[in-house]
Amino acid sequence: MSQSVKDPAKPLLEVRQLEQRFDVSGSFFDRLRIAGGRISAPRRIVHAVNGVSLAVKRGEVLGIVGESGCGKSTLAKTIVKLHEPTGGQILIEGEDITRHDFARMRPVRKKLQMIFQDPYASLNPRQKVRDIIMEPFLESQAGPVPDIADRALALLAKVGLGIEHLDRYPHQFSGGQRQRIGIARALSVQPDLIIADEPVSALDVSIQAQILNLLMDLKDEFGFSYLFITHDLSVVRYISDRIGVMYLGFMVETGPTRTIFAEPKHPYTRALLAAAPQLGTKLGPASEQVGGEVPSAIDLPRGCPFRQRCLLAFARCAEERPELRPVGGGQAVACHLHEPATEPALAAT
Amino acid sequence: MSNNEQHSKPLLRVQELRTWFYTFGGLVKAVDGVSFDLAPGEIMGLVGESGGGKSMIGFSIMGLIDPPGRIEGGRIEFNGKNIAGLSEDEMRVIRGKEIAMIFQDPMTALNPLYTIGNQIEETLALHTALSARERRAKAIEMLHKVGIPQPEQRLSHYPHQFSGGMRQRVVIAIAMIAKPRLLIADEPTTALDVTIQAQLLRLMRQQVMENGTSMILITHDLAAVSQMADTIVVLYCGRIVEKGPAEDIIARPRHPYTRGLIDSIPHETAENDGPKQRLSQIPGNVPDIRKLPPGCAFAPRCSRASERCRMQDPVLMEHNAIAMGSGKLRPHAVACHHPLAVSP
Repeated sequence: MSQSVKDPAKPLLEVRQLEQRFDVSGSFFDRLRIAGGRISAPRRIVHAVNGVSLAVKRGEVLGIVGESGCGKSTLAKTIVKLHEPTGGQILIEGEDITRHDFARMRPVRKKLQMIFQDPYASLNPRQKVRDIIMEPFLESQAGPVPDIADRALALLAKVGLGIEHLDRYPHQFSGGQRQRIGIARALSVQPDLIIADEPVSALDVSIQAQILNLLMDLKDEFGFSYLFITHDLSVVRYISDRIGVMYLGFMVETGPTRTIFAEPKHPYTRALLAAAPQLGTKLGPASEQVGGEVPSAIDLPRGCPFRQRCLLAFARCAEERPELRPVGGGQAVACHLHEPATEPALAAT
Repeated sequence: MSNNEQHSKPLLRVQELRTWFYTFGGLVKAVDGVSFDLAPGEIMGLVGESGGGKSMIGFSIMGLIDPPGRIEGGRIEFNGKNIAGLSEDEMRVIRGKEIAMIFQDPMTALNPLYTIGNQIEETLALHTALSARERRAKAIEMLHKVGIPQPEQRLSHYPHQFSGGMRQRVVIAIAMIAKPRLLIADEPTTALDVTIQAQLLRLMRQQVMENGTSMILITHDLAAVSQMADTIVVLYCGRIVEKGPAEDIIARPRHPYTRGLIDSIPHETAENDGPKQRLSQIPGNVPDIRKLPPGCAFAPRCSRASERCRMQDPVLMEHNAIAMGSGKLRPHAVACHHPLAVSP
């Protein structure tokens, strides 16, 4: 499955304790508060990504799943450095790119490409397809490239488009075709890792299947890895080798896809799986249904981020934030219920 | 699941509905000859991809088709009376009271300048003779029913003070407060997260069952529909390609398009470590509805298409009747020259 290049043991992408915070407090006067006769100017910080660690091996598909506001898209954008990370480390093949500036990122971007959710907004409407798909490639080259038209054509053929599409503008395409153009653009530099942020969410289900098949075919052909971000459990189950579940900027559970779906451990993962509609099954009783809504990322709850919605929360959950700990079989869970201290029976064995 | 099967008369009977739009780009036959019946208390799912015409059927029933569109022909019999082409004043009496609608985006369905209390009570003020105090009491009761905490305080809040899921609960409260006989929900949970979607689908089902309301659930999400609906109608390019009992449509689809839709959903492959199976996909794209091919609109994407499909429109025909658990016969109809065989 993976191409035998360089050190196969070393992960292609490694993220350590990544943190992304956004200051949304505005100007000093926006922040000014008078309460109890005292003047203060508190800051409002959105804690979008809170200490997330992950690794993607060569040829592997890591799926990140979570609901809106869980920080999965911010995570993707921070990894490609569309946002400057506020903490933690990002390593590409062992090279720390966390503090790379634009110029030093340029060679890294040859290894790292991104596909976006909205195929309407991610293509420049004033560029022709040939210019769109070749731009990353030309950026990565020192001088002029003589066979550029042939290269463009070859790329289009890879994603199922033809010569007649070369000189068209994005508005002349359907949503699925535009996503194909976005994929061709990412392919142009022959990257090692493609970060796909909800690449099929905006598409009709029949087109969604076409694009998923295309993504898997290309992976088999070129042997690259995906960091695949989606809210859709059926998609993530289909495409991923391993899955990470995010909630409120925290990674709450990771593990092999089969294990996560067969034996979800974190109460949030369980609730998420129970809520996903299944074809041909009637809406069941509300026993596993999680109530309430995701709390604000500005005032993170003390302790476990999920405890206010969790049916199993106990005193310790409010006191101490659980850390992601391995529970065997490649699975890791951030939940006090799955720690030796609260599972004396398990610890004894 | 519809518990009112003794009623033989449908609440809603749509016959040969045609809603066309006269655009600069050409004639758009958004709805082109659609017929179906909806029994009292029945939940019907209207599914299809974008451009299928499913939303336009909802808008047509509500009388919300504006120029350049118009209802070109057909009947919409609600409770025995044709409401297609009623005047705006006549529709106002029905809308909100008899037929209510829930839209995809609760932020555009709610007026940002009025409190939600105002907006809930408006329906009662228009359609009932209740006093202001009674209306307020009812609004509080309704908010409580749809699961909004502290309803007394929340009445005086504005839509922007609610989250997306809470806003959609308010919209459901507004729709259900006058106890309508028909609820049309157009992609009510598409914009929401999956845990919130499950909460709201349960809430809507409980509300319609409590009041004996019939419901049309319009969505692209076959899985959500299969959880909720008694019957499913599948649309493609403004026409019904298949309709029948929900379980039957999902388990034994007969139209190649329905089959394709079901197979396109990534499903659990056999739980082994072997190579991933490719998803079966429908080739090509939904055609431009202004330039539909002659014959069956799905023929260019269909693996079963023959010369006949490219020449002659298939007619929606009841091909069998499946005995349901109750022993009642419900028809399963398909518009296809070469329908898929029923597997035994």
